[in-house]
Amino acid sequence: MEVFYFILQQMMYFSIPLLVVALGGMFSERSGIVNIALEGIMLIGAFVGVVTIYLVQDRLSASLYASISHGQLVLIYGLITAGMTGALFSVFHAYASVNMKADQVISGTALNLFAPAAAIFLARSFAFTNYTQQVSFNRRQFLIKKIPILGDIPFIGDILFQKAFITTFIGLLILIIASILVYKTRFGLRLRSCGEHPQASDAAGINVHKIRYIGVIISGFLGGVGGLVLIVSTQTEFNATVSGYGFLALAVLIFGQWQPKKILQASLFFGLMKTIASSYSSIPFLQILNFPSQFYKMIPFIATLVVLAFTSVSVQGPKAAGEIYDVGKR
Amino acid sequence: MKKILLIISIIFATVLISGCQGKTYEIALITDVGTINDKSFNQGSWEGVVQYADEFDVSHKYYQPSDRTDDDYLEAIELAINNGAKVVVTPGFYFEKVIYEVQDDYPDVTFILIDGVPNNLVFDEEGNVESGEERIEDNVYSILFAEEQSGFLAGYAAVKEGFTSLGFMGGNAVPAVVRFGYGFLQGAEYAANEMELDDGAITVKYKYLNSFKPSADIQTEAASWYTAGTEIIFVAAGGAGSSVMAAAESQTEKYVIGVDVDQKDESPTVITSAMKELKNSVYLCLKAYYEDDDTTISTAETTILDATNDGIGLPDDFSRFENFTSDDYNTIYTALKEDTDNIRTNIINDITLSYDQLGLVKVSVDYTNPET
Repeated sequence: MEVFYFILQQMMYFSIPLLVVALGGMFSERSGIVNIALEGIMLIGAFVGVVTIYLVQDRLSASLYASISHGQLVLIYGLITAGMTGALFSVFHAYASVNMKADQVISGTALNLFAPAAAIFLARSFAFTNYTQQVSFNRRQFLIKKIPILGDIPFIGDILFQKAFITTFIGLLILIIASILVYKTRFGLRLRSCGEHPQASDAAGINVHKIRYIGVIISGFLGGVGGLVLIVSTQTEFNATVSGYGFLALAVLIFGQWQPKKILQASLFFGLMKTIASSYSSIPFLQILNFPSQFYKMIPFIATLVVLAFTSVSVQGPKAAGEIYDVGKR
Repeated sequence: MKKILLIISIIFATVLISGCQGKTYEIALITDVGTINDKSFNQGSWEGVVQYADEFDVSHKYYQPSDRTDDDYLEAIELAINNGAKVVVTPGFYFEKVIYEVQDDYPDVTFILIDGVPNNLVFDEEGNVESGEERIEDNVYSILFAEEQSGFLAGYAAVKEGFTSLGFMGGNAVPAVVRFGYGFLQGAEYAANEMELDDGAITVKYKYLNSFKPSADIQTEAASWYTAGTEIIFVAAGGAGSSVMAAAESQTEKYVIGVDVDQKDESPTVITSAMKELKNSVYLCLKAYYEDDDTTISTAETTILDATNDGIGLPDDFSRFENFTSDDYNTIYTALKEDTDNIRTNIINDITLSYDQLGLVKVSVDYTNPET
């Protein structure tokens, strides 16, 4: 049973960042801009977030906040700066693909290539990293071993409220807000319409450029937050990489068919497979089967292909995603 | 315009030349990557340089190459030699290729290569030698460490402390890492024999990660080991150690053994570290060079530092142990040093053997095949 809870707890470390970043991707694609820059945005957000954490963690401890919640406060500072940086960074993508009408794949790739180089360059110019590319931080302060009362609830308590990070709850909160925003508000309707048929939206009096900017910037914010969430829950230092999780989040987005609820399921599934891939040797049942770990790493992608093959007729992504908005085109 | 340019270039040239002919530094250290205070190879080696230089009043300076490439290393070494270096210390195996070249180019300069043998070997995809050779000239000290003894001490200490479920994560199946691992297994076996435990009382999960970098996957894998009962993991995998420490920190009463240098500052879960005594080894080389004494260390051959010359060991701080004390450590270290009952010579360091040929009885190894 302990192993079972362990898997689910570990799964959250992978699933939550994927969820947050995939939701970010959803906002961008729903507005009509394909955002393959998510990897770069995650990386740059994580970098600035980790640097922020490094800079504030010791300063704050001397002040009033030197209590249990101190670590959580540091983390929230980090998340905010990570998000802001991601949002700022994504403006480049928005400018290139909305104003300059550039190919969205090219500008996204440019950001992906730029981000790790920038992170390494900056990290190596700081004295506190000893001029190396690694930025270390105190991860222990963020870990909540057990939340009182809630942690005692059977099953759910074990999964959600023990050995958890505050980021888990922030991620779930983001999911709820995102669902409401996309389906229950005027903004959500406009966002979706811009991704389906921008010319019609324009005719209805919607400023397509503005909506697309907002969509990309939200995705940048969530991408940055997701990057830091990933690093905080799995590392003790940041080494200028988010190991391809930005691209994985794109797969989650597609597997989740651009819908918040299905994105949640997809990210849980991807997270579970990731966990099993690296820990199957300790799971008695799977140990006997003795499949190579690559097998488990492969499953999410095969599943994505299968799901796409069966559902692509009925469910499609935003029709105008990736298309440059041309006012003259009807 | 041309005249102005000419004047400027003359001024620059003068400044540069006069700059070079300024103060000279006899001992030079080239950092491998990062700076002098990296808490690792550079810092340890530099402390050895400083210790010797202060004691005998020799001028010394370190140089930081702009990047981790052979060209940048070469540039830094040549700069050091232009600045009057007679001895150049290069910490880390990254310098092997460069030293192979410069040992011929600068026969009057002595090089101290820590943890490496000068070579120009080229390997094919499967890790077999395709071409090239190892060659050590008269002006090169090549220092290696008996990692198996360092690992032995770590395994011994872990079992003596009372741990019965151990783990070993190596970066790759390269010789230094394999020696660490095999030493660890044999140290555990030795301690188990001493404590008269049953056969198979100690279990060791053993795996090569195929990575020296931190990653979420390694963190998960380590966490799964801890959850399945492993109490302490010896991680000989460079930066990947931080992922294992992250996993240990998420659990209670789980520990890590660090590698190469004392890593206790990286995490409170690091109970001890299997060290190579860099400072001491650099000091010994410098001493041998200046006193022209080749009894313990000499040029033109590889010297393996071990317990007999304090080349390896655990850090002095035993405060994170509950049962294993510094007295216990001194006893086993002295035994290694003096080879009591052939304890040292009995440690198998032949990496061509497989783990089940080490003659382990008390220790049962749960070996995970390295993924290719």
